[in-house]
Amino acid sequence: MRRAINFRKVAPYALLLPGLLWLGLFYVYPAVQMFLVSLWTGSVESGFTQTWNWGIYPEAITEYWAWIGRSIVYGALATILAFSLGFPLAYAIAFRGGQYKNILLFLVIAPFFTSFLLRTISWKIILADDGLLLGPLKDLGLLPEDFRLLATPAAVIAGITYNFLPFMTLPLYVALEKIDRRLIEAAQDLYAGPWRPRGTIVGALIGGALGVTVGVVMDYGPLPLGIPGLILGAVVGTWLISEAFIRVTLPLALPGIFAGSLLTFIPAVGDYINAELLGNPQTQMIGNVIQARYLRITDYPTASALSFILMAAILVGVFLYTRLLGSEELTGAAV
Amino acid sequence: MDEHDPRRTFDLTRRRFLQASALTGVSAFLAACGTTGTGGSAAPSQGGGGGETGTLRFANWIGYIDINEDDGSYPTLQKFQDETGITVTYLEDIDGNEEFFTSSLSGPLTAGLATEWDLIVVTDWMVDRLARLAWLEELDRDAIPNFVANLEPRYLGRSFDPDTKLAAPWQSGMTGLGFDKAVTGDLASLAAFYGDQFAGKMTYLTEMRDTIGLTAIHLGSDPATITQEQFDAALAVVDDAVQNGWVRQIAGNSYVDVMAAGDAVLAMAWSGDVLTLLVPDQQEDQDFQWVLADEGGMLWTDNMVVPKGSPNKALAEKWVDFYYDPTNAATIEAYVNYVCPVAGAKDVMLELDPALAENPLIFPPEDWVARLHQFRSTTAEEETAWAEAFSKVLGL
Repeated sequence: MRRAINFRKVAPYALLLPGLLWLGLFYVYPAVQMFLVSLWTGSVESGFTQTWNWGIYPEAITEYWAWIGRSIVYGALATILAFSLGFPLAYAIAFRGGQYKNILLFLVIAPFFTSFLLRTISWKIILADDGLLLGPLKDLGLLPEDFRLLATPAAVIAGITYNFLPFMTLPLYVALEKIDRRLIEAAQDLYAGPWRPRGTIVGALIGGALGVTVGVVMDYGPLPLGIPGLILGAVVGTWLISEAFIRVTLPLALPGIFAGSLLTFIPAVGDYINAELLGNPQTQMIGNVIQARYLRITDYPTASALSFILMAAILVGVFLYTRLLGSEELTGAAV
Repeated sequence: MDEHDPRRTFDLTRRRFLQASALTGVSAFLAACGTTGTGGSAAPSQGGGGGETGTLRFANWIGYIDINEDDGSYPTLQKFQDETGITVTYLEDIDGNEEFFTSSLSGPLTAGLATEWDLIVVTDWMVDRLARLAWLEELDRDAIPNFVANLEPRYLGRSFDPDTKLAAPWQSGMTGLGFDKAVTGDLASLAAFYGDQFAGKMTYLTEMRDTIGLTAIHLGSDPATITQEQFDAALAVVDDAVQNGWVRQIAGNSYVDVMAAGDAVLAMAWSGDVLTLLVPDQQEDQDFQWVLADEGGMLWTDNMVVPKGSPNKALAEKWVDFYYDPTNAATIEAYVNYVCPVAGAKDVMLELDPALAENPLIFPPEDWVARLHQFRSTTAEEETAWAEAFSKVLGL
């Protein structure tokens, strides 16, 4: 009897063991090593010594806060855009997909059968100055001849959004799919109809604000995207958002929103391929700086310190976000 | 597109590989190319040896020697093994100077141990660094008579190797103007890079010595003797061009793709790339050209060097001497298409392939050589400070 009880107590920990070993070997150990490297001084030629040079952290922040800030802004915008695209997509598949659900889901992840790098390079072809997208628009006179998307912030943010869209869509789909339709019907029976006029106002405000932010970050000024955002938001708010959606669907989808936004935001902030391939010197992100410090300048301490600073910044952001959304419901509902 | 035309046999030039591998990781890229990465003799490295029968361990860049496309063997390397009885372990193991330095050289050499290699191919500035660290073996000039006799004079007494006994040039390349003549018309002056004539349609290179070198030449300085003031002046001009939005991107080898798409019409470009990568696939309305600017251009070189402590220096010298036989150099050159450092190879090439012998990108004529500059050797402090300063211009 005693032995059986002991085994039951031990079993969960034994099951944790492979995962813990993996994390210890491939995460904790390298992280500790990297932390020690960040406190080195010296150069490749004169050799590095462990000097516990804590000053490197404030120095790195002072020198590179602009890149960290840019990465967070790009990452956040890409996350919001991925949500704006991914939520309607996941909603449509979950609620209206019918017999085609599996095919539609497959299509969402289909691009992942090609390498990240190739997918990004293909954007260079699509967005080329006289390419598939801009060529016809320029021929029609809708855009000036010298307008371009490549080598601008717009291309970088669009590339990140595209590359991480499935990370947003799939958790949203899982959350929406699980919703008990009878709850929505019950809400509708209880007079949770169209959400007017609040939907119009809230939709217009959110759409407008989003358009202005995206426009400013992408260097187009507040109006060209702000006005379409305002109109689109108002239309969506007026015609598509109902009281039942606000009171039932959205709260039940929160775990998916939470998971999807984290899965998108965290890798997006550290991404450097999109900025490297689609950007220019004015759009480089912190990932590019870390890569350059490490490989180009062989400044291992600063590269390591920046990696930790980025990690800390993301942890703080995620912590605040978790507090904002209230985590205890989420972890309960998400698993 | 004749498969016997050497210019088409291997699209993946060494610099192109460098860029791609930096992004994808070497192994994935090798797999994609169907190249195994090993070759020459399959014999494993045995270390030790010395004398004339032993194993020469030779690390080079991918696609940087003649390859028999049918069975993946290296004909010239095989000939060397047959003639000398030396076994060569040839690995296409170098995919970036800095990466190779970090992964294969700095560890053992810092500890005073020998590396895994007897002969490696690295770019000028890395030779410079290795020489400063005293991590190179001197070549015994008596053992390499072909090298002494046939090295093109432009490589004599380079600033990091004043006695020409540390580094034996393997291949060189030139940096000049690459442009789409259909859009830009004829160009011959570096001045085109420093104005708004092609604003948003120009690319510079991420290699500091190329971009700063060309800009210094434009400003009337000589990169071979560049001072801190001249460096700062050139850097300021480059920074202005970037901040003004004239420069679309500062790119590695990807400038080739940007030009192919028509997104750039003028680029600081490496010789050979334009002819081998752009011209064969150009659209009807494109007309790609590469010229060495009237003011001059950059000449960079990848060099064979022997890392400190190699037990097989004598074997490495045998190979250097073998390569500096014009016949062997010409055979390799017909395949790799870079600037050949071996005098006399041109005469051999006249018989092998007269068209290639007249190709100025492989055998630059006298008036080109007079306009080519090599970036000078730097101190350790300069190397770091200049890399950092240039990195700022790159937005990093």
